[in-house]
Amino acid sequence: MSKLTEIRVEPLARVEGNGGILVTIEKDKVTDVQVRILEGPRLFETLVVGKTPEEDLNIVPRICAICNLSHKYAALRALEKAVGVQIPQVTQEYRQLMHHGEMIESHSLHLYFLALPDFFGYDNAVQMAGEFGEVVTNALKLKKFGNRVMRMMGGRMIHGENPVLGGFGRLPDRNTLLDVRREAEELLPFVVRTIDIMADLEIPDHMERETQFLCCKPPHNGYDYYGDVLMISDGSEHPIEEYQSVIHEHVVSHSFAKRSRYNEEPFTVGAIARVLLLGDRLEGRAREAYDKLVNERWHRNPLYNNHAQAIEMLFSLEDMIRTIDRILEMEPQDIAKPTRQSGTGTGGVEAPRGTLIHHYKIENGVTVEADIITPTAMFLDDVEAFIWKGSETLLARNDLDDIELNLEMIARAFDPCISCSAHLVTVVFK
Amino acid sequence: MKQKKAQKPKPRVGIYGLTGCAGDQLVLVHTEDHLLDLFGAADIRSFVMASSNPEEGELDVALVEGSVSTEEEREHLKDIRKRAKILVAIGNCAVVGGVQAMYAGDGSFEQRLKKVYGDIEFVTPPIEALPVDMVVDVDYYLPGCPVSQSQVIALLGRLLHGFSPEAFPHPVCHECKLNENVCLLVQKKFCLGPVTMAGCGAVCPSHGLPCVGCWGPNEDGNFKQIFELLRSFGMSLDDITRRVRNFGGRKIIEHIKEQVKEVQE
Repeated sequence: MSKLTEIRVEPLARVEGNGGILVTIEKDKVTDVQVRILEGPRLFETLVVGKTPEEDLNIVPRICAICNLSHKYAALRALEKAVGVQIPQVTQEYRQLMHHGEMIESHSLHLYFLALPDFFGYDNAVQMAGEFGEVVTNALKLKKFGNRVMRMMGGRMIHGENPVLGGFGRLPDRNTLLDVRREAEELLPFVVRTIDIMADLEIPDHMERETQFLCCKPPHNGYDYYGDVLMISDGSEHPIEEYQSVIHEHVVSHSFAKRSRYNEEPFTVGAIARVLLLGDRLEGRAREAYDKLVNERWHRNPLYNNHAQAIEMLFSLEDMIRTIDRILEMEPQDIAKPTRQSGTGTGGVEAPRGTLIHHYKIENGVTVEADIITPTAMFLDDVEAFIWKGSETLLARNDLDDIELNLEMIARAFDPCISCSAHLVTVVFK
Repeated sequence: MKQKKAQKPKPRVGIYGLTGCAGDQLVLVHTEDHLLDLFGAADIRSFVMASSNPEEGELDVALVEGSVSTEEEREHLKDIRKRAKILVAIGNCAVVGGVQAMYAGDGSFEQRLKKVYGDIEFVTPPIEALPVDMVVDVDYYLPGCPVSQSQVIALLGRLLHGFSPEAFPHPVCHECKLNENVCLLVQKKFCLGPVTMAGCGAVCPSHGLPCVGCWGPNEDGNFKQIFELLRSFGMSLDDITRRVRNFGGRKIIEHIKEQVKEVQE
């Protein structure tokens, strides 16, 4: 094999020719890896200039359908700081509920419908239903439940406008909350069973290499999906306002999604980063799952992001129940109002697939500057690095029969936001 | 001799996403109660968001989400059109160009592209978002941001059985009235319901929030009147024009030519 060989895994970005993983192998050596994201630019940061914060909140969630409420939430956290909105505790609890709904929707979609079919040798979850009917049926129920909570808090399943600056347009009534609580309890045993399914999976080791992890540090001692401090696996912590000096963005010609580095090196965000950095704060069944699943290979193997998502689904169901119990003890409050017309704010939340940062500068009620870093833009460089390592190992082992699928599974494990990047499908050798 | 009943082949369907949030395809993925039926009733040849190994051949129905935002997407769309008997534009980005087309035609695209990405030549040249029908002929439009679950299932149901989809040319006000909401405009509050395509179920007014126009312009909307009404509430022409354009894409311009001209003056 002395001639130039290209391995193309395409289409990565949902349409053939519109992206894909391109691995170049020359004389038995990997010479280039490109995760190509060729979905066109939308320029959101320029779209919101000249708009009111209310319009920003209408526009920016359109970045991504799957995690639209994470975008709404990050934008709310940033804009409320900018114009001085102090939300009451009960509003924070409702946002928590909303965010858990999205975690369950997104993680269940990714884990059962996008990732697991690979491990069992199917093209999609519908095919998988023959052998794993009960899992697919329950997974559909779980996803539907996540969607229900997103609809309840967001106003509709995708791009709901119910979360507004300072509160919500309409809040669910007591009976609806109790019904959601009951459904969460009913779904727990299936997710506990999922942990067992994950524990039994054989996880290949070809891509293993050391990396760095980053997530938002919660403002309390528990596990959570938001915070004003960036926490990194090297032990350092940074105020979220300093994100630009921590995360360095750059642009590559083969991707309309930007790339990011920390300390000049790629890093990982997402469920695996959160579980590794915050997992010792977990309680209850999520803690049991953590003790059962986490091992030292997690630090080098992104396929364990699938397992981390399973743990987080348990955490979200359990925490949803706790959150509803707290809400039921609280009085509803009015929508909080801005106290100023000008200011700057940075908001960080953990979207299902990783840290999401929104930053806005408002002058006299009008947006003059915006900056958004999506999780996919943070981890794409690390995806390339793991694919590079995986290709090298598989070449060295002469284990080339399923090389495309093996490389595809690495990218898929990161759960790249389908719209800011990737879903992978056909495999063509060139 | 018993005659063998000819098995009618299932209609071949392709579901594609160009530039957008993937929300319209996600609506299909999220039709938990119909998803398995859909895969049973149609021969889903390509739906890369949900399934591996697409077959890119002749299609009876192609659903296309997203705007055309690169030269590569333009070629891809032309290829889909060649292969598809019926092509449906689904969602705001495909129908009007989406939020990414809100400044279409004002000449700022190159400058904004440079502001975000700097000086770099991409492997496929980017273009300012185009709705699907500015590149190929479109047979049907299904507006939405994202499309409604019941409408997309109804549309597919009809197309799969060889019927034309039913038009739903109503403004948001139509559904708002059915929900018995108190009209925001009557309370002298901002709302774009009268000039916006319905199908969402008037979800925002039903939450006490204004319609922001996210399903795109309603062809029959009286734009002149809504401008006059909102101005009588004390809103500036600038403010109204900007808000109307947020989700109006390239298609809104023809409806508000006079107002845009006035703003420019």
